[in-house]
Amino acid sequence: MSQINYRTINIDALDPESSANFPMESLLPATLPQAASASDAANAAAQVRQMLRGGDPEGALRTVLDTAPLGGDDRAKEVHLATVIDVLQGIRQGEMTRILEGVCSGDGGAERADCLMKYLYKGMSSAAPGSGTQTPKKPVSPQDTGFSQIQARNLGEGGGGQQMSVLLSWHERLVEIAGTGSIVRVMTDRRTV
Amino acid sequence: MSQSLRPYLQAVRSSLTAALTISNFASQTSERHNCPEVEANSSPEILLNPLHISRNENEKVKIEPSYNSVRISIRIKQADEIEHILVHKFTRFLTQRAESFFILRRKPVEGYDISFLITNFHTEKMLTHKLIDFVIEFMEEVDKEISEMKLFLNARARFVAESFLTPFD
Repeated sequence: MSQINYRTINIDALDPESSANFPMESLLPATLPQAASASDAANAAAQVRQMLRGGDPEGALRTVLDTAPLGGDDRAKEVHLATVIDVLQGIRQGEMTRILEGVCSGDGGAERADCLMKYLYKGMSSAAPGSGTQTPKKPVSPQDTGFSQIQARNLGEGGGGQQMSVLLSWHERLVEIAGTGSIVRVMTDRRTV
Repeated sequence: MSQSLRPYLQAVRSSLTAALTISNFASQTSERHNCPEVEANSSPEILLNPLHISRNENEKVKIEPSYNSVRISIRIKQADEIEHILVHKFTRFLTQRAESFFILRRKPVEGYDISFLITNFHTEKMLTHKLIDFVIEFMEEVDKEISEMKLFLNARARFVAESFLTPFD
């Protein structure tokens, strides 16, 4: 016991009543849909790709947003994120506004808009899937001894620019339609995608 | 302004507008304290979902909102080692003078080059849309500044090399 410096113990973490131990599950609504597994997400993905190939991008986007695994595990969410990004990349620049207006109107349109906004931010937070598995590059410095002041990092233009610019232009159109309130709901909603 | 920079800055602007809706919130753990919750990290319910906006892998912004404070971290574009050094020196110059910048954080969040911390006291004293304008303008200017400094540095290096080598001509 004498090894532990009792002054550095965070006593708040030991107190079940403290705000540091707030039960985060209590913030989730009871009406959360069934937890989806990765295979469910893969099934939905196959269905959505079928629609996209069949020339129905609006229906594909609508379906992919309605089947979002809000209660699923991380693997299912990852699979679904890849599907959403595929759909978004498969829609041409000129059609964006028309399709968005269709998807964000009607029954449950506001929920779909919020869901899409969540996916846009999530897509930008993860590295591009194609170039995601890159090995950390060695520092470019010619000598080993030089330059230890700052840490090494990836240099160059950076990958994933193409995908990000698609997501950014979707973001711009969506803010025009759904407004800033949609971003606030992304920040506050604990049902992450 | 290049084609992909505009939607990037526009996304940052709308996200900041949404994130900067903050109000006074006293500490839940210690009485008569009031600290930025995003830094104090005293309770998970007060921290909201962080937002990431990226233009490519080397240019991103992370916005971490909470009830009474928002932390904005910016990763500045660095195409090669010279720009890397210049960005490091530049951000160091700024962070050492953090007191006179009010919203500047002394240390950037890991993985980013410079961080701002905006609390409800800042938004009460200053105009929120001007704060957003400042962050956006900073992001625009810093790229220009760095590439300008790089050009100057190359020009000076060339001049020095020339005058150093004239006696051997």
